[in-house]
Amino acid sequence: MASISLLNPKAEFARAAQALAINISAAKGLQDVMRTNLGPKGTVKMLVSGAGDIKITKDGNVLLHDMQIQHPTASMIARASTAQDDSTGDGTTTTVMLIGELLKQADIYLSEGLHPRIMAEGFEKARDKALEVLENVKVPVDINKKNLMEIANTSLRTKVHPLLADLLTEVCVDAVLTISNDKKVPIDLHMVELMEMQHKTDTDTQLVRGLVMDHGARHPDMPKRLENAYILTANVSLEYEKAEVNSGFFYKTAAEREAFVRAEREFIDQRVKKVIQLKRAVCDGTNKSFVLINQKGIDPISLDALAKEGILALRRAKRRNMERLALACGGTAMNSFDDLQEEHLGYAGSVYEHVLGENKYTFVEDCKNPLSVTILIKGPNKHTITQIKDAIRDGLRAINNTIGDKALVPGAGAFEVRAYNELVKYKDSVKGKARLAVQAFADALLVIPKTLAVNSGYDAQDTIVKLTVEDRLSPELVGIDLSTGEPMKPSDLGVYDNYIVKKQILNSCSIIASNLLLVDEVMRAGMTSLKG
Amino acid sequence: MQQTREILTFQFGTYSNYVGAHFWNQQEANFVYDREGNIAEEQLPENDILYREGLNDQKQTTYTPRLLSVDLLGTLRHLPVVGELYGNFLPVTNEQNTDELQKAKDLVEQSQMLTPGGLDVRTQPPVELSEYQLDLVKGTVDTENKDYKLADTCSSWADYLYARYHPRSLNVLRGMQRQTDVQVLGTQVAGVELWQSVAFNDDFCDRIRMYAEECDALQGFQLLFDIDDGFSGLATKCLEHLNDEYSRASYVLPLHYPRNISYAQADPRTAHSIRVVNSVLSYYHLSEQATMFTPLSTLETIWRNTTSQSRRMPGLHWQPDNLYQSSAILAAYLDTVTMGYRLRNTPESLLRFCERVTPANRNMTAAGLSLPLGMEQEQDLIDFLDGSNNSSLLTQLTPGCEPGDSHVVQSIVARGIPHSRLKRPVDQAGPQLRMAAYKCESVSQMLLLYYQCAYHGSVTHAASMPLPLNTKLPFPYEIFDAGIAADGFKLLGQAEREKDIRVRSAPALAAVQSSSKLGAHLDTLHGQTHRVQLVKLHSYTQSGFEKEEYDTALDKLLEFRDNYKDAHYL
Repeated sequence: MASISLLNPKAEFARAAQALAINISAAKGLQDVMRTNLGPKGTVKMLVSGAGDIKITKDGNVLLHDMQIQHPTASMIARASTAQDDSTGDGTTTTVMLIGELLKQADIYLSEGLHPRIMAEGFEKARDKALEVLENVKVPVDINKKNLMEIANTSLRTKVHPLLADLLTEVCVDAVLTISNDKKVPIDLHMVELMEMQHKTDTDTQLVRGLVMDHGARHPDMPKRLENAYILTANVSLEYEKAEVNSGFFYKTAAEREAFVRAEREFIDQRVKKVIQLKRAVCDGTNKSFVLINQKGIDPISLDALAKEGILALRRAKRRNMERLALACGGTAMNSFDDLQEEHLGYAGSVYEHVLGENKYTFVEDCKNPLSVTILIKGPNKHTITQIKDAIRDGLRAINNTIGDKALVPGAGAFEVRAYNELVKYKDSVKGKARLAVQAFADALLVIPKTLAVNSGYDAQDTIVKLTVEDRLSPELVGIDLSTGEPMKPSDLGVYDNYIVKKQILNSCSIIASNLLLVDEVMRAGMTSLKG
Repeated sequence: MQQTREILTFQFGTYSNYVGAHFWNQQEANFVYDREGNIAEEQLPENDILYREGLNDQKQTTYTPRLLSVDLLGTLRHLPVVGELYGNFLPVTNEQNTDELQKAKDLVEQSQMLTPGGLDVRTQPPVELSEYQLDLVKGTVDTENKDYKLADTCSSWADYLYARYHPRSLNVLRGMQRQTDVQVLGTQVAGVELWQSVAFNDDFCDRIRMYAEECDALQGFQLLFDIDDGFSGLATKCLEHLNDEYSRASYVLPLHYPRNISYAQADPRTAHSIRVVNSVLSYYHLSEQATMFTPLSTLETIWRNTTSQSRRMPGLHWQPDNLYQSSAILAAYLDTVTMGYRLRNTPESLLRFCERVTPANRNMTAAGLSLPLGMEQEQDLIDFLDGSNNSSLLTQLTPGCEPGDSHVVQSIVARGIPHSRLKRPVDQAGPQLRMAAYKCESVSQMLLLYYQCAYHGSVTHAASMPLPLNTKLPFPYEIFDAGIAADGFKLLGQAEREKDIRVRSAPALAAVQSSSKLGAHLDTLHGQTHRVQLVKLHSYTQSGFEKEEYDTALDKLLEFRDNYKDAHYL
């Protein structure tokens, strides 16, 4: 009897083997759900909620979020996988698969009497060895278009149709290369804006070397299209806010009040005039035009004044767009209009508006040296757009990881097979029962190539035997070719994974699995029941 | 230049959405297209303040609330998150859903979206529509005769929602399934954390920005939120954001559940403490951030109301802990009192409305409502006011708060009293001629005079609107007593309304009031804090909440309470 039941007869608990069984069955269950998703041949899930909301995804992380996970163990695994997504943007399905498999393999030995503590120690040893192998097999790469294309393509092909994946690969790589601009500084992926457009007939994704904003001019007389435009980005209020003045108003007569209001209005008008002055100074007599993009509001009177001058003015721009604009067009975002100079302005070759239903879009394009770009996603409906968006996000992350690591790992299960062989060799040098755990770890790793094979319709054992044998013979890594089921060299087909992703997976999976193994008592006793 | 002075509305939490659903239903009833000119147009509410015009993908014009609502998973019932007007969902709740599903599936399969692995469709069983919604779809809603028993059967606000929302409006908290007896998002800190999470914050702030971008002259915000649970944290953080980004007026309405809902892993005692701490923290933020805030509840007192003693209103009878019925009363109040700044011909802005009743930083105010007004049929307002000299017209809707009848600053709105019922023409006036109020030419003037006489040393501002409160379905018409006629006026003597006739509309009077007696409300709250031991509240301590923060909040609360001392004002 557990000690808790002395204190609280109502507490529910499970001990030792039973506790382990709970954890293992949860991990297996989760693994079963995710199994079919893995790899480029995994199935896509379409989720339709009870109210008719549609979601199409293959992303393990999205699925985990959407499933109402109540089981404490399962939600722990889910959290590990979410953490994986947060830090690297890939490998969520793999995480779940691997934790499940580790527990499954451990279960075999534990049922024969191996102590979980020894198991956990063995896992730790095996993980260190596996990381060593990873370190050895990683391929240092130059950051060039070809290499980035390969990694992005591998990632994207697991998310969408190959044709679309190829298109997105091009877009993603170009986007990252444009904003990185050969500089050595770390890349801020926020500087790639993802803009969506719902369009009945059009499915297309394109890279805009500039910025697309989801709002347009609010004045009918403002130009819809401008060439050779100066861009002024600002965070200055151009609206007469009655809000700020009313409380401090003291007046005796109506005329006096009028005067106050006029003075207040005058203040805003002055700001507008400053913009107009600058516009006249830089544009008059040339073929240049002028665009004002403001983070604060612009009221109709100010809009009117600006429209008369042919200035295109946008209000309430996204805060992040201020930064993006400065990078895309040059210039600085202004916080006040005192001392406005030409050097504060940015430049764009063309600025135009696009109206779609009730939504307006403003394109700022043909920038001279854009360090911020937009990926424009068009799709017939929301769920398609979301699916593409998720895929692009993962693709961008994969590219970014590569640039960070300056190294890649051959994909298609190649690393797992090599690690398996190395671990089996390593096993013999491990003393005592811990070697069993090393064996379990090695076996668990094989779940990745196995599942890849099964999802593509090949026999799991067949593939594994072929792969392990081939791997032992060849100094180079060998993965599975999903179109033939035969072993192949990933480097030939350009199938690569991120180094950091693999590393993260090895680390987090072994830790979570060990933790779950060491649980020898599960109890549920809420505060309420404690007080009886 | 006359501009629409837009207001953006926020609803945080399930009960707020209950109230909100009633409120927007009421707004649609306020759309009056009166060609006969019974009601002068300039006396009607200006709908554009709360509504926006849009165009959906079918090129149909839409007219939807400027609303942002946040709620838990499962509260939307049959409503798709994207709303029903702009597509992007499968009409699964219809009978022909298999066709639609197949069509959607084919479409996906034809597109380039799929990997060679194929498509795996997983459908959850469609949510069953409530009977009212079913009839609404069929267009056969019978507001006169059919009894939908909404009070007993409705499980969420979506069940009786008549209004339709824009796709931008609804936000559902991922992974937080509503539970009827436990607050899922328990503490204020949890709400604050949620606000700060990237996944929620980016998208939500962007939605606020999109609404604001559309507005030519945004004048402010109305915020409704559940103060008993974590949504209070969400709302106070949001208010902070609004002040930072937009610096406009804000009218905030913290709502208390009409029953005590427990928290995860809490016995009644800890639950009580959590409730108190949530309130303390929210009040602290509101006293600094909100232009005005008015706590609302149909309960008499809160924080230690073990019996859930409910307010009573003459002529009304509702089940005290019924969310559907009690929220309707709060919504009736909200709709009536906000007319103070929503009428077409009023120069009143939200800011002026708030500042008028919040002198000397007393930005907490109390709510009073009279529904139905209690005027008898055929009775004139002048006689009614004359006869009710000694009893207060209003019932308080702010718990534990009686503003009293002297030194009150208030703003009052009357609705549904036709001009013809003000007083008799001179030749029939009789005794009315002798009353001082006879010279008043409008409802608001007469109310003003009444309060000048009835309340000592007080400042009143009054407005009126001829449109009565619509009490047809989905309003809980059943809460009216038998002594109320179909038009909401009191029947003479002991007469009773016929059984199968329902009250269609009712006149109402609503007020926001402030007086030094409101300090008592804050005292009650502060009194409760003595029993709170913060260290014992695991849900607070676990999320890294600092005791200092709580102590500051308490100190500030006391400082705020000082604003209500007599010496401070009047």
